[in-house]
Amino acid sequence: MGLLDSIEKYCENHVIKNDAITSFLKEGFPTTKDEEWKYTSLKKIVSDDYVLEEGASDISADEIKKHSLNIGEQIIFINGVLHAKPDIKGLKIEPNVLKNLSYEDPISALNSGLAKNGYSISIDGGVALEKPLEILFLNKYEANSFLQYRNNIIVGENASIKIVENIKNLSNNTVFVNSVTDIDTKKDSFLEINKLQDYSNNERTIDTTNINQEKTSTTTINTLLFGGAFTRNNLNFFQNGVNCESNMNGIVILNNDEVGDNHTYVDHKKENCQSNELYKGIYLGKSKGVFNGKIMVRPDAQKINAFQANNNLLLSDDSSINSKPQLEIYADDVKCSHGCTIGQLDEKALFYLRTRGVSKEDANAILTFAFASEAMDKISIPVLGDRVKSLMEDKLGVNLSI
Amino acid sequence: MLKIKNLKAGIEETKILKGIDLEVNAGEIHAIMGPNGSGKSTLSSVIAGDENYEVESGSIMLNGEDLLEMDPDERAHKGVFLSFQYPVEIPGISVSNFMKAAINEKRKNLGQDPVSAKDLLHKMKEKMELLNMQKGYLSRNMNEGFSGGEKKRNEIFQMAMLEPKLSILDETDSGLDIDALKVVANGVNKLKSKENATIIITHYQRLLNYIVPDFVHVLHDGKIIKSGGKELALELEAKGYEWVIK
Repeated sequence: MGLLDSIEKYCENHVIKNDAITSFLKEGFPTTKDEEWKYTSLKKIVSDDYVLEEGASDISADEIKKHSLNIGEQIIFINGVLHAKPDIKGLKIEPNVLKNLSYEDPISALNSGLAKNGYSISIDGGVALEKPLEILFLNKYEANSFLQYRNNIIVGENASIKIVENIKNLSNNTVFVNSVTDIDTKKDSFLEINKLQDYSNNERTIDTTNINQEKTSTTTINTLLFGGAFTRNNLNFFQNGVNCESNMNGIVILNNDEVGDNHTYVDHKKENCQSNELYKGIYLGKSKGVFNGKIMVRPDAQKINAFQANNNLLLSDDSSINSKPQLEIYADDVKCSHGCTIGQLDEKALFYLRTRGVSKEDANAILTFAFASEAMDKISIPVLGDRVKSLMEDKLGVNLSI
Repeated sequence: MLKIKNLKAGIEETKILKGIDLEVNAGEIHAIMGPNGSGKSTLSSVIAGDENYEVESGSIMLNGEDLLEMDPDERAHKGVFLSFQYPVEIPGISVSNFMKAAINEKRKNLGQDPVSAKDLLHKMKEKMELLNMQKGYLSRNMNEGFSGGEKKRNEIFQMAMLEPKLSILDETDSGLDIDALKVVANGVNKLKSKENATIIITHYQRLLNYIVPDFVHVLHDGKIIKSGGKELALELEAKGYEWVIK
C-alpha cells in the first residue's frame, strides 16, 4: 500500500484536516528530482508498509539501564511517552503541546500535521546546568511503525546546557521516525547538543533540527552517526542576532547497505557572526554517504567568518559519497572557506606503521582513528568521547590498544 | 645475523638491485655508501618489506629465518628496524600513542601483556633524555610539523624504544645540523651492543666520524663493488666515487 496511502487513510479515519497535512498530501514525499533529495532516494523506504497507530511493549528497568549513557542528568521517553525526568531548578521538562507548528517543506509539513509526541525543554535565564542532560528515547513497537516526534528547546538568556540525545529501537520491527526539533537560543546563551545516532539496521530516520539564535549565543551540534539503514539529518541554523556562533561537527561511520545523508544550512542574517563546520565521513561495505553544506550570507551580514570542511574516507570499493558545498554570499566583507576531500588511507603511512610491528588490520584502524580524531576532539563530554571511541572500534571491527 | 644472497629486486619493470651479497654479524656496524641512484634506499626498503618493490631472486635470512616470506610487521617482530629517510607525518596520532601501539603489538606477538602506562612513560622519558628531546614531544602528532632534525631524532627514539636486533639507518644524517648529528650518533652508539647490528646507509662520510663502522661497502648500479674497513669511507670522501666505479 505504501506510506502515503497509509497516511491518507489515517487522516480520513481520524478526520484530521489541517493546512500542514493538506500541504504534505498535495506534494507527497520528495523524489530525487527534488534538488534537496538528489542523491538520497526515499522511494524504497516509503513504499514499505507501516502502521501509524502504534501498539508498543513495555521496556524493563534493566533495558533502560543497559542503554543509558550515565553522563549526568537523564530524561527517559518510552515509546514516545515521558517516563522519567530530573528535578532541577530552572529546568522545565514537559510533553510538547504540538500547536501552531511551522513547516517549510513536505517532510516537516507531514510532521507538523501529524506529530504525536515529543518533549519541550526550557531552561530559565541565567541557569547553567552543571551536568550534561541525556535524553534517552527507547522504542519497542509491535509492528513496523511510522513515528513522528516534535520537540522544542528554549535556552533562556545567559543560560547554559549540554544535551546528549540517545535513541534506540529495541524491537525487531522496523521503525521509520520523522522527527523535528525546534530550538530557540536567547541572548548570551550556550547550547551544545550531541546526537548519538547508533541506529540499528531496522531504523530509518529523518531528523530535522531548526535552531534560531539570538545575539551573542553559541550553539554546537555534534552529529555522531554510527549506523542505521537510512538516516537523513537536516540541521538548519538561523542567526537572527549579531555575534552568534554556530558550530557543527559530524562523525559518520557506515557499513553494509547503510545510507547516511547530512544536510546542513547556516543562514547568516546579521553581522559579526561565525559558523564552523567539520564533518568526517568513513564509509565501508556498500554504504552511501551524502554531505550537503549550504552557507547563506545575507546582505546585512558583514564581517562573517564561515568555515566548512568535509573529509571522507572510502574504505571499500563499493562505498560512495556525494559531497556538495554550497555558498551563497551577498555581503562583501566576509571570510568564507570550504573544502572537501575524498580519499583512501595513505599507503606510506600504512607501511611506516607496519615497519614498527603494527599489523595491517591495526594500522588501518589507527589511521582511520587518526582521520576522525579532529572531529572527536570536539566532543566535550569525556564519557561520550569514550563511548564514541568504542562504537568506532565496533564499527571498524578492531580493538585498539591506544 | 643477516645473510643476503644474490638479491635482485626492482620496481615494476626497472631493475635496481642486481645481485647483492651481504653478511652482517651481531655486534657489527656496516656502512653502505654509494652515489645517488645506486640502490641504497631500495635495499633498505626491500629488507623492511616494502611491497612496492618486487624481489626477482635471491634471499634475505635473519638468524636463519627467511625475511622475504614475512610481512613488514612480522619482520619488525623478528627485530628488523628501518629508520626512514623521509619519516611519514601522521596527523591525529601522538608520538606516545604511536609508541604504545608499536610496543604492545610487539608484546602481543611475544605472548606478553600490554605494557602499563607507567612503565611506558618511564621508558619513553629515559629514551628522550638519551636523545636530548623536548618535554612536549610525546603529545605532538607523529612527525607533523617536525623539523628535519626532529624527524630523524624521532626515528632513533623509536629505535631506542623497540630495541631491534638489526637497525637500518637510511640517510639518517641528511637534514641534521652538526649538533643534532652528534646527539643522534651518540644515541646510536649507546644503543649498540654485542647482540645487535646496525647498517648505516649514507651518501656522505660525515656521520661515520661519529658512528664508526666495522665494514664499509660501496654500492654502485645495484651491486656491491667494493668492501673494506672504516678507512675506505675516508678514501671515498677524499677521492669521490669515480675512483672505485672505474
